[in-house]
Amino acid sequence: MIERWALVSGLRGDLETYDLIQRDLKKTRGVTALFVLGDLVGPERNCDALLDRLRNPHRGDLKPDCIYGWWEEQLLAERGFRGERKADALRLSQGEDAVSALLNTVNPSHLKWLASLQFGFIELDCALIHGSSSDVGDNLTSKTSPLILLDRLTRLNVNRLFTARSTKQFHLELTGGGINSQVKDLNGKREQQQEVPKRSVIGIGAGLNYTLYDIGSDKTHFLTAGSKTNPKGKGFA
Amino acid sequence: MNHAIISCLHANLPAVEAVLNDIDKQGIDTITCLGDLVGYGPQPNEVVELIRKRGIATCQGCWDEDIIDGLNACECSYPSQLAERRGHLAHQWTDDQLTDENKSFLASLPTSLRRDRLLFVHGSPNSQHEYLLPDMDAFAALERVETAGADILFCGHTHQPYVRELRDGSIRVRLQNAEHGNDQGEELTLPMRKIVNAGSVGEPRHGSTNATYVIHNDATDEVEIKEVDYDVDRTCQAIVEAGLPEVFAWRLSHGFEFAEQAEDASHVCER
Repeated sequence: MIERWALVSGLRGDLETYDLIQRDLKKTRGVTALFVLGDLVGPERNCDALLDRLRNPHRGDLKPDCIYGWWEEQLLAERGFRGERKADALRLSQGEDAVSALLNTVNPSHLKWLASLQFGFIELDCALIHGSSSDVGDNLTSKTSPLILLDRLTRLNVNRLFTARSTKQFHLELTGGGINSQVKDLNGKREQQQEVPKRSVIGIGAGLNYTLYDIGSDKTHFLTAGSKTNPKGKGFA
Repeated sequence: MNHAIISCLHANLPAVEAVLNDIDKQGIDTITCLGDLVGYGPQPNEVVELIRKRGIATCQGCWDEDIIDGLNACECSYPSQLAERRGHLAHQWTDDQLTDENKSFLASLPTSLRRDRLLFVHGSPNSQHEYLLPDMDAFAALERVETAGADILFCGHTHQPYVRELRDGSIRVRLQNAEHGNDQGEELTLPMRKIVNAGSVGEPRHGSTNATYVIHNDATDEVEIKEVDYDVDRTCQAIVEAGLPEVFAWRLSHGFEFAEQAEDASHVCER
Protein backbone atom coordinates (compact mmCIF):
# COMPACT_ATOMS: atom_id res chain seq x y z
CA MET A 1 0.00 0.00 0.00
CA ILE A 2 1.20 3.47 -0.89
CA GLU A 3 2.00 5.65 2.10
CA ARG A 4 2.43 9.35 1.55
CA TRP A 5 3.17 12.42 3.58
CA ALA A 6 1.74 15.80 2.66
CA LEU A 7 4.09 18.72 3.38
CA VAL A 8 2.76 22.25 3.57
CA SER A 9 4.19 25.60 4.61
CA GLY A 10 3.79 29.35 4.18
CA LEU A 11 0.06 29.52 4.79
CA ARG A 12 0.51 32.83 6.59
CA GLY A 13 -3.03 32.94 7.90
CA ASP A 14 -4.64 31.92 4.61
CA LEU A 15 -7.49 29.61 5.66
CA GLU A 16 -8.82 29.41 2.12
CA THR A 17 -5.56 27.91 0.87
CA TYR A 18 -5.48 25.47 3.75
CA ASP A 19 -9.04 24.44 2.98
CA LEU A 20 -8.14 23.81 -0.68
CA ILE A 21 -5.19 21.64 0.38
CA GLN A 22 -7.38 19.64 2.78
CA ARG A 23 -9.88 19.07 -0.05
CA ASP A 24 -7.07 17.92 -2.35
CA LEU A 25 -5.78 15.51 0.28
CA LYS A 26 -9.22 13.98 0.77
CA LYS A 27 -9.13 13.01 -2.90
CA THR A 28 -5.58 11.66 -2.74
CA ARG A 29 -4.82 8.05 -1.93
CA GLY A 30 -2.45 7.00 0.78
CA VAL A 31 -1.84 10.27 2.60
CA THR A 32 -1.23 9.27 6.19
CA ALA A 33 0.30 12.42 7.63
CA LEU A 34 0.12 16.16 7.11
CA PHE A 35 3.13 18.17 8.21
CA VAL A 36 2.87 21.95 8.32
CA LEU A 37 6.45 23.23 8.31
CA GLY A 38 5.96 26.66 9.78
CA ASP A 39 4.94 30.12 8.66
CA LEU A 40 1.41 29.49 9.81
CA VAL A 41 1.21 33.20 10.47
CA GLY A 42 2.24 36.29 8.54
CA PRO A 43 1.61 40.02 8.46
CA GLU A 44 -0.82 40.16 5.52
CA ARG A 45 -4.08 39.03 7.12
CA ASN A 46 -5.66 38.03 10.41
CA CYS A 47 -4.43 34.52 11.21
CA ASP A 48 -6.82 33.57 14.00
CA ALA A 49 -9.25 31.55 11.86
CA LEU A 50 -6.44 29.44 10.38
CA LEU A 51 -4.85 28.89 13.79
CA ASP A 52 -8.26 27.85 15.20
CA ARG A 53 -8.63 25.33 12.36
CA LEU A 54 -5.12 23.94 12.80
CA ARG A 55 -5.63 23.54 16.53
CA ASN A 56 -9.17 22.18 16.19
CA PRO A 57 -9.40 20.28 12.90
CA HIS A 58 -12.77 19.87 11.22
CA ARG A 59 -14.29 16.43 10.99
CA GLY A 60 -12.68 14.76 7.97
CA ASP A 61 -9.59 16.99 8.05
CA LEU A 62 -6.24 15.27 7.97
CA LYS A 63 -4.87 16.20 11.39
CA PRO A 64 -1.91 18.56 10.95
CA ASP A 65 1.40 18.21 12.78
CA CYS A 66 2.88 21.69 12.95
CA ILE A 67 6.30 23.13 13.67
CA TYR A 68 7.23 26.78 13.92
CA GLY A 69 8.74 28.79 11.09
CA TRP A 70 10.48 32.11 10.58
CA TRP A 71 7.34 34.22 11.02
CA GLU A 72 6.40 32.45 14.25
CA GLU A 73 9.96 32.97 15.47
CA GLN A 74 9.65 36.72 14.84
CA LEU A 75 6.25 36.90 16.51
CA LEU A 76 7.30 34.90 19.54
CA ALA A 77 10.52 36.86 19.93
CA GLU A 78 8.68 40.18 19.83
CA ARG A 79 6.13 38.88 22.32
CA GLY A 80 8.88 37.95 24.79
CA PHE A 81 8.98 34.17 24.29
CA ARG A 82 12.63 34.12 23.20
CA GLY A 83 14.43 35.68 26.16
CA GLU A 84 16.08 38.97 25.35
CA ARG A 85 15.76 38.52 21.60
CA LYS A 86 13.15 40.54 19.69
CA ALA A 87 11.97 40.39 16.08
CA ASP A 88 15.30 41.82 14.98
CA ALA A 89 15.48 39.96 11.67
CA LEU A 90 12.02 41.18 10.63
CA ARG A 91 12.71 44.70 11.85
CA LEU A 92 15.95 44.79 9.89
CA SER A 93 14.52 43.39 6.67
CA GLN A 94 11.03 44.96 6.56
CA GLY A 95 10.94 47.72 9.14
CA GLU A 96 8.90 48.61 12.19
CA ASP A 97 5.57 48.64 10.32
CA ALA A 98 5.94 44.96 9.46
CA VAL A 99 6.56 44.12 13.10
CA SER A 100 3.43 46.02 14.15
CA ALA A 101 1.40 44.37 11.39
CA LEU A 102 2.53 40.92 12.48
CA LEU A 103 1.61 41.56 16.10
CA ASN A 104 -1.89 42.61 15.04
CA THR A 105 -2.63 39.46 13.04
CA VAL A 106 -2.52 36.96 15.89
CA ASN A 107 -4.69 36.97 18.99
CA PRO A 108 -2.49 36.58 22.09
CA SER A 109 -4.57 33.53 23.07
CA HIS A 110 -2.67 31.57 20.38
CA LEU A 111 0.80 32.50 21.59
CA LYS A 112 1.26 29.72 24.13
CA TRP A 113 0.31 27.12 21.55
CA LEU A 114 2.66 28.65 18.98
CA ALA A 115 5.43 28.69 21.59
CA SER A 116 4.85 24.99 22.25
CA LEU A 117 5.60 24.05 18.63
CA GLN A 118 8.83 22.20 17.95
CA PHE A 119 11.77 23.31 15.81
CA GLY A 120 11.41 20.23 13.63
CA PHE A 121 10.51 16.58 13.36
CA ILE A 122 12.67 13.56 12.68
CA GLU A 123 10.57 10.90 10.97
CA LEU A 124 12.20 7.71 9.69
CA ASP A 125 15.46 8.99 8.20
CA CYS A 126 14.02 12.38 7.32
CA ALA A 127 14.28 15.77 9.01
CA LEU A 128 11.32 18.11 8.58
CA ILE A 129 12.35 21.66 9.43
CA HIS A 130 11.30 25.12 8.32
CA GLY A 131 14.83 26.29 7.55
CA SER A 132 17.53 23.82 8.41
CA SER A 133 19.43 22.25 11.27
CA SER A 134 21.46 25.46 11.37
CA ASP A 135 18.67 27.98 11.78
CA VAL A 136 14.94 28.44 11.29
CA GLY A 137 15.80 31.19 8.80
CA ASP A 138 18.29 29.16 6.78
CA ASN A 139 17.25 29.71 3.17
CA LEU A 140 18.19 26.53 1.29
CA THR A 141 17.48 26.30 -2.43
CA SER A 142 18.60 24.12 -5.32
CA LYS A 143 21.31 26.74 -5.91
CA THR A 144 22.75 26.52 -2.40
CA SER A 145 26.27 25.10 -2.32
CA PRO A 146 26.08 21.30 -2.05
CA LEU A 147 28.74 21.56 0.65
CA ILE A 148 26.32 23.55 2.80
CA LEU A 149 23.45 21.18 2.00
CA LEU A 150 25.57 18.20 3.00
CA ASP A 151 26.55 19.96 6.21
CA ARG A 152 22.91 20.58 7.13
CA LEU A 153 22.13 16.89 6.54
CA THR A 154 25.20 15.75 8.46
CA ARG A 155 24.36 17.85 11.51
CA LEU A 156 21.20 15.76 11.99
CA ASN A 157 22.54 12.53 10.53
CA VAL A 158 19.51 12.16 8.27
CA ASN A 159 19.25 11.11 4.64
CA ARG A 160 16.56 13.61 3.65
CA LEU A 161 15.96 17.16 4.75
CA PHE A 162 12.59 18.70 3.94
CA THR A 163 12.83 22.48 4.08
CA ALA A 164 10.36 25.29 3.51
CA ARG A 165 12.06 28.62 4.14
CA SER A 166 12.90 29.36 0.50
CA THR A 167 9.23 28.75 -0.55
CA LYS A 168 10.67 26.90 -3.60
CA GLN A 169 9.89 23.37 -4.67
CA PHE A 170 12.92 21.28 -5.55
CA HIS A 171 14.40 17.86 -4.91
CA LEU A 172 18.17 17.90 -5.03
CA GLU A 173 19.97 14.60 -4.67
CA LEU A 174 23.60 14.29 -3.63
CA THR A 175 24.61 11.39 -5.82
CA GLY A 176 28.33 10.93 -5.35
CA GLY A 177 31.78 12.35 -4.84
CA GLY A 178 34.25 12.21 -2.03
CA ILE A 179 37.08 13.90 -0.23
CA ASN A 180 40.55 12.99 1.01
CA SER A 181 42.08 14.33 4.15
CA GLN A 182 45.35 14.01 5.92
CA VAL A 183 45.67 14.52 9.64
CA LYS A 184 49.04 15.24 11.16
CA ASP A 185 49.46 15.28 14.91
CA LEU A 186 52.16 14.44 17.42
CA ASN A 187 51.69 10.73 16.69
CA GLY A 188 52.37 11.07 12.98
CA LYS A 189 50.26 11.29 9.82
CA ARG A 190 47.18 9.40 8.72
CA GLU A 191 45.13 9.53 5.54
CA GLN A 192 41.35 9.38 5.43
CA GLN A 193 38.94 9.00 2.53
CA GLN A 194 35.27 9.79 2.77
CA GLU A 195 32.51 9.37 0.21
CA VAL A 196 29.43 11.51 -0.22
CA PRO A 197 26.46 9.60 1.16
CA LYS A 198 23.38 9.47 -1.04
CA ARG A 199 21.17 12.11 0.52
CA SER A 200 18.59 14.67 -0.56
CA VAL A 201 17.32 18.11 0.29
CA ILE A 202 13.73 18.79 -0.67
CA GLY A 203 12.11 22.20 -0.85
CA ILE A 204 8.40 21.74 -0.25
CA GLY A 205 7.05 25.08 -1.52
CA ALA A 206 4.66 27.48 0.19
CA GLY A 207 1.01 28.50 0.14
CA LEU A 208 -0.91 26.73 -2.59
CA ASN A 209 2.25 24.87 -3.66
CA TYR A 210 2.74 21.79 -1.51
CA THR A 211 4.52 18.46 -1.71
CA LEU A 212 3.56 14.81 -1.46
CA TYR A 213 6.29 12.39 -0.47
CA ASP A 214 5.97 8.65 -1.16
CA ILE A 215 7.78 6.96 1.70
CA GLY A 216 8.19 3.61 -0.03
CA SER A 217 9.55 4.84 -3.34
CA ASP A 218 11.31 8.01 -2.12
CA LYS A 219 9.45 10.04 -4.76
CA THR A 220 8.34 13.62 -4.34
CA HIS A 221 5.37 15.17 -6.13
CA PHE A 222 5.08 18.93 -6.34
CA LEU A 223 1.45 20.00 -6.46
CA THR A 224 -0.68 23.12 -6.49
CA ALA A 225 -3.84 23.03 -4.43
CA GLY A 226 -7.05 23.43 -6.36
CA SER A 227 -5.52 22.73 -9.77
CA LYS A 228 -7.52 20.20 -11.80
CA THR A 229 -4.58 17.96 -12.63
CA ASN A 230 -1.34 17.28 -10.89
CA PRO A 231 1.91 17.96 -12.78
CA LYS A 232 2.33 14.33 -13.85
CA GLY A 233 -1.35 13.99 -14.67
CA LYS A 234 -1.95 10.72 -12.92
CA GLY A 235 -1.55 8.63 -9.84
CA PHE A 236 -3.33 10.72 -7.24
CA ALA A 237 -7.03 10.05 -7.78
CA MET B 1 57.53 34.62 7.73
CA ASN B 2 56.91 32.40 10.72
CA HIS B 3 54.20 33.28 13.20
CA ALA B 4 53.08 31.42 16.30
CA ILE B 5 49.58 30.47 17.39
CA ILE B 6 48.74 29.66 21.00
CA SER B 7 45.44 28.63 22.56
CA CYS B 8 43.70 27.50 25.75
CA LEU B 9 46.10 29.01 28.26
CA HIS B 10 43.73 28.30 31.15
CA ALA B 11 45.35 30.42 33.82
CA ASN B 12 48.50 28.29 33.88
CA LEU B 13 51.26 30.88 34.22
CA PRO B 14 54.30 28.53 34.20
CA ALA B 15 53.09 26.96 30.95
CA VAL B 16 52.39 30.33 29.31
CA GLU B 17 55.80 31.68 30.32
CA ALA B 18 57.56 28.57 29.01
CA VAL B 19 55.77 28.74 25.64
CA LEU B 20 56.38 32.46 25.19
CA ASN B 21 60.08 31.90 26.01
CA ASP B 22 60.23 29.13 23.42
CA ILE B 23 58.63 31.39 20.79
CA ASP B 24 60.98 34.26 21.68
CA LYS B 25 64.02 32.01 21.33
CA GLN B 26 63.05 31.35 17.72
CA GLY B 27 62.85 35.04 16.92
CA ILE B 28 59.15 34.97 16.19
CA ASP B 29 57.43 38.21 17.06
CA THR B 30 53.96 37.69 15.62
CA ILE B 31 51.84 35.69 18.04
CA THR B 32 48.10 35.06 17.88
CA CYS B 33 46.16 33.70 20.82
CA LEU B 34 42.91 31.78 20.31
CA GLY B 35 41.42 32.46 23.71
CA ASP B 36 40.53 30.67 26.93
CA LEU B 37 43.01 32.71 28.92
CA VAL B 38 41.22 31.70 32.10
CA GLY B 39 39.41 28.74 33.63
CA TYR B 40 40.63 25.59 35.43
CA GLY B 41 43.99 27.09 36.36
CA PRO B 42 45.14 29.06 39.42
CA GLN B 43 46.61 32.27 37.90
CA PRO B 44 43.90 33.97 35.81
CA ASN B 45 44.95 37.57 36.51
CA GLU B 46 48.62 36.85 35.94
CA VAL B 47 47.98 35.20 32.58
CA VAL B 48 45.59 37.91 31.34
CA GLU B 49 48.05 40.60 32.40
CA LEU B 50 50.94 38.86 30.64
CA ILE B 51 48.98 38.64 27.38
CA ARG B 52 47.96 42.29 27.71
CA LYS B 53 51.52 43.38 28.51
CA ARG B 54 52.89 41.54 25.48
CA GLY B 55 50.17 43.00 23.24
CA ILE B 56 49.31 39.59 21.81
CA ALA B 57 46.39 39.64 19.36
CA THR B 58 43.73 37.48 21.01
CA CYS B 59 40.24 36.27 20.22
CA GLN B 60 37.72 35.32 22.86
CA GLY B 61 37.40 31.72 24.03
CA CYS B 62 34.40 29.99 25.54
CA TRP B 63 35.70 30.44 29.10
CA ASP B 64 36.44 34.12 28.49
CA GLU B 65 32.92 34.52 27.11
CA ASP B 66 31.27 32.70 30.00
CA ILE B 67 33.12 34.74 32.61
CA ILE B 68 31.70 37.88 31.01
CA ASP B 69 28.23 36.69 30.03
CA GLY B 70 27.62 34.25 32.86
CA LEU B 71 27.16 30.53 32.58
CA ASN B 72 24.36 30.49 30.06
CA ALA B 73 25.77 27.93 27.69
CA CYS B 74 23.73 24.76 27.36
CA GLU B 75 24.86 21.51 28.92
CA CYS B 76 26.78 20.56 25.79
CA SER B 77 29.64 22.68 27.09
CA TYR B 78 30.50 19.87 29.46
CA PRO B 79 30.84 16.19 28.68
CA SER B 80 29.19 15.02 31.88
CA GLN B 81 27.34 16.26 34.95
CA LEU B 82 30.41 15.74 37.12
CA ALA B 83 32.49 17.78 34.71
CA GLU B 84 29.78 20.43 34.69
CA ARG B 85 29.82 20.65 38.50
CA ARG B 86 33.60 21.01 38.51
CA GLY B 87 33.38 23.55 35.72
CA HIS B 88 30.88 25.62 37.68
CA LEU B 89 33.18 25.59 40.71
CA ALA B 90 36.09 26.76 38.59
CA HIS B 91 33.89 29.39 36.95
CA GLN B 92 32.85 30.82 40.32
CA TRP B 93 36.43 30.79 41.62
CA THR B 94 37.74 32.51 38.49
CA ASP B 95 34.93 35.05 38.57
CA ASP B 96 35.82 35.91 42.18
CA GLN B 97 39.53 36.25 41.42
CA LEU B 98 39.52 38.27 38.19
CA THR B 99 39.88 42.03 38.51
CA ASP B 100 37.34 44.28 36.83
CA GLU B 101 40.06 45.55 34.52
CA ASN B 102 40.92 42.05 33.36
CA LYS B 103 37.24 41.19 32.92
CA SER B 104 36.86 44.29 30.75
CA PHE B 105 39.79 43.10 28.66
CA LEU B 106 38.18 39.67 28.16
CA ALA B 107 34.89 41.36 27.25
CA SER B 108 36.66 43.45 24.61
CA LEU B 109 38.08 40.46 22.74
CA PRO B 110 36.71 39.71 19.25
CA THR B 111 35.28 36.28 18.46
CA SER B 112 37.55 35.97 15.44
CA LEU B 113 40.62 37.52 13.87
CA ARG B 114 41.40 37.54 10.17
CA ARG B 115 44.64 38.15 8.33
CA ASP B 116 44.12 37.85 4.59
CA ARG B 117 43.25 34.19 3.98
CA LEU B 118 43.94 33.12 7.54
CA LEU B 119 41.09 32.98 10.05
CA PHE B 120 41.66 32.61 13.79
CA VAL B 121 38.86 31.42 16.12
CA HIS B 122 38.61 29.60 19.41
CA GLY B 123 36.17 26.77 18.59
CA SER B 124 34.82 27.21 15.09
CA PRO B 125 33.55 30.09 12.97
CA ASN B 126 30.06 29.14 14.18
CA SER B 127 30.65 29.17 17.91
CA GLN B 128 33.32 29.39 20.58
CA HIS B 129 31.79 26.19 21.96
CA GLU B 130 31.95 24.01 18.85
CA TYR B 131 34.67 21.35 18.77
CA LEU B 132 36.45 20.75 15.49
CA LEU B 133 37.93 17.36 16.25
CA PRO B 134 40.62 15.87 14.00
CA ASP B 135 38.40 13.03 12.77
CA MET B 136 35.11 14.89 12.38
CA ASP B 137 33.17 14.53 9.14
CA ALA B 138 35.51 15.89 6.46
CA PHE B 139 32.78 17.67 4.50
CA ALA B 140 31.48 19.38 7.63
CA ALA B 141 35.03 20.40 8.51
CA LEU B 142 35.54 21.83 5.02
CA GLU B 143 32.21 23.65 5.25
CA ARG B 144 33.37 25.47 8.38
CA VAL B 145 36.49 26.79 6.60
CA GLU B 146 34.86 27.50 3.24
CA THR B 147 31.75 29.25 4.58
CA ALA B 148 33.99 31.49 6.66
CA GLY B 149 35.84 32.52 3.50
CA ALA B 150 39.24 31.30 4.69
CA ASP B 151 41.98 29.15 3.22
CA ILE B 152 43.36 28.13 6.59
CA LEU B 153 41.36 28.03 9.80
CA PHE B 154 43.27 28.18 13.07
CA CYS B 155 41.34 26.91 16.08
CA GLY B 156 41.79 25.49 19.56
CA HIS B 157 39.20 24.35 22.13
CA THR B 158 39.85 20.60 21.74
CA HIS B 159 43.22 20.78 23.53
CA GLN B 160 44.57 18.36 20.93
CA PRO B 161 46.94 19.85 18.36
CA TYR B 162 46.63 18.72 14.75
CA VAL B 163 46.89 19.84 11.15
CA ARG B 164 44.20 18.59 8.81
CA GLU B 165 44.43 19.06 5.08
CA LEU B 166 41.16 18.59 3.15
CA ARG B 167 41.71 18.01 -0.55
CA ASP B 168 40.54 16.38 -3.82
CA GLY B 169 36.93 16.90 -2.81
CA SER B 170 33.88 16.83 -5.04
CA ILE B 171 30.12 16.49 -4.69
CA ARG B 172 27.85 15.36 -7.51
CA VAL B 173 24.24 16.52 -7.45
CA ARG B 174 21.14 15.86 -9.52
CA LEU B 175 17.94 17.82 -9.57
CA GLN B 176 14.84 15.65 -9.54
CA ASN B 177 11.52 17.07 -10.61
CA ALA B 178 13.16 20.04 -12.30
CA GLU B 179 10.56 22.67 -13.18
CA HIS B 180 11.95 23.01 -16.69
CA GLY B 181 13.42 20.16 -18.70
CA ASN B 182 14.94 16.89 -17.60
CA ASP B 183 16.81 16.04 -14.47
CA GLN B 184 20.15 17.80 -14.40
CA GLY B 185 23.40 16.50 -13.01
CA GLU B 186 26.49 18.48 -12.12
CA GLU B 187 29.63 18.15 -10.07
CA LEU B 188 31.08 20.68 -7.68
CA THR B 189 34.84 20.57 -7.24
CA LEU B 190 35.75 21.49 -3.70
CA PRO B 191 38.73 23.66 -2.84
CA MET B 192 41.69 22.49 -0.80
CA ARG B 193 41.55 23.88 2.72
CA LYS B 194 43.39 23.40 5.99
CA ILE B 195 42.44 23.34 9.66
CA VAL B 196 45.19 23.91 12.19
CA ASN B 197 44.46 23.24 15.83
CA ALA B 198 46.98 24.80 18.19
CA GLY B 199 46.30 22.40 21.05
CA SER B 200 46.59 23.83 24.54
CA VAL B 201 49.26 25.75 26.41
CA GLY B 202 47.72 25.47 29.85
CA GLU B 203 45.78 22.21 29.87
CA PRO B 204 47.07 19.72 27.30
CA ARG B 205 44.89 16.70 26.60
CA HIS B 206 46.93 14.98 23.90
CA GLY B 207 48.46 12.37 26.17
CA SER B 208 51.47 14.33 27.34
CA THR B 209 51.91 17.00 29.98
CA ASN B 210 53.84 19.26 27.62
CA ALA B 211 52.28 22.52 26.53
CA THR B 212 51.63 22.74 22.79
CA TYR B 213 51.41 25.49 20.20
CA VAL B 214 51.97 25.75 16.45
CA ILE B 215 54.19 27.71 14.10
CA HIS B 216 52.89 28.54 10.64
CA ASN B 217 54.99 29.83 7.79
CA ASP B 218 52.78 32.09 5.72
CA ALA B 219 55.00 31.78 2.65
CA THR B 220 55.13 27.97 2.48
CA ASP B 221 52.02 27.19 4.56
CA GLU B 222 54.05 24.63 6.49
CA VAL B 223 52.89 24.05 10.04
CA GLU B 224 54.97 22.73 12.90
CA ILE B 225 53.40 21.45 16.11
CA LYS B 226 55.60 22.38 19.04
CA GLU B 227 55.75 20.77 22.49
CA VAL B 228 57.22 22.63 25.44
CA ASP B 229 58.17 21.17 28.77
CA TYR B 230 57.33 23.29 31.81
CA ASP B 231 57.05 22.97 35.58
CA VAL B 232 53.76 21.03 35.79
CA ASP B 233 54.19 20.35 39.50
CA ARG B 234 54.28 24.05 40.27
CA THR B 235 50.90 24.59 38.61
CA CYS B 236 49.41 21.45 40.18
CA GLN B 237 50.46 22.63 43.62
CA ALA B 238 48.96 26.07 42.98
CA ILE B 239 45.67 24.46 41.89
CA VAL B 240 45.42 22.51 45.12
CA GLU B 241 46.44 25.50 47.27
CA ALA B 242 43.83 27.67 45.56
CA GLY B 243 41.11 25.21 46.55
CA LEU B 244 40.21 24.33 42.99
CA PRO B 245 39.02 20.74 42.31
CA GLU B 246 42.03 18.45 42.72
CA VAL B 247 41.11 16.54 39.59
CA PHE B 248 42.28 19.58 37.60
CA ALA B 249 45.77 18.99 38.98
CA TRP B 250 45.49 15.24 38.40
CA ARG B 251 44.57 15.55 34.76
CA LEU B 252 47.19 18.25 34.18
CA SER B 253 49.79 15.82 35.47
CA HIS B 254 48.52 13.12 33.06
CA GLY B 255 47.84 15.15 29.94
CA PHE B 256 44.34 14.01 29.10
CA GLU B 257 40.79 14.82 30.04
CA PHE B 258 39.65 12.82 33.02
CA ALA B 259 37.85 9.79 31.56
CA GLU B 260 35.05 11.85 30.11
CA GLN B 261 34.39 12.42 26.45
CA ALA B 262 31.69 14.55 24.87
CA GLU B 263 28.88 12.34 23.62
CA ASP B 264 28.30 14.56 20.62
CA ALA B 265 31.36 16.67 20.14
CA SER B 266 30.08 18.23 16.94
CA HIS B 267 27.02 19.60 18.70
CA VAL B 268 26.81 23.36 18.53
CA CYS B 269 25.82 25.10 21.72
CA GLU B 270 22.45 26.81 21.20
CA ARG B 271 22.00 29.87 23.36
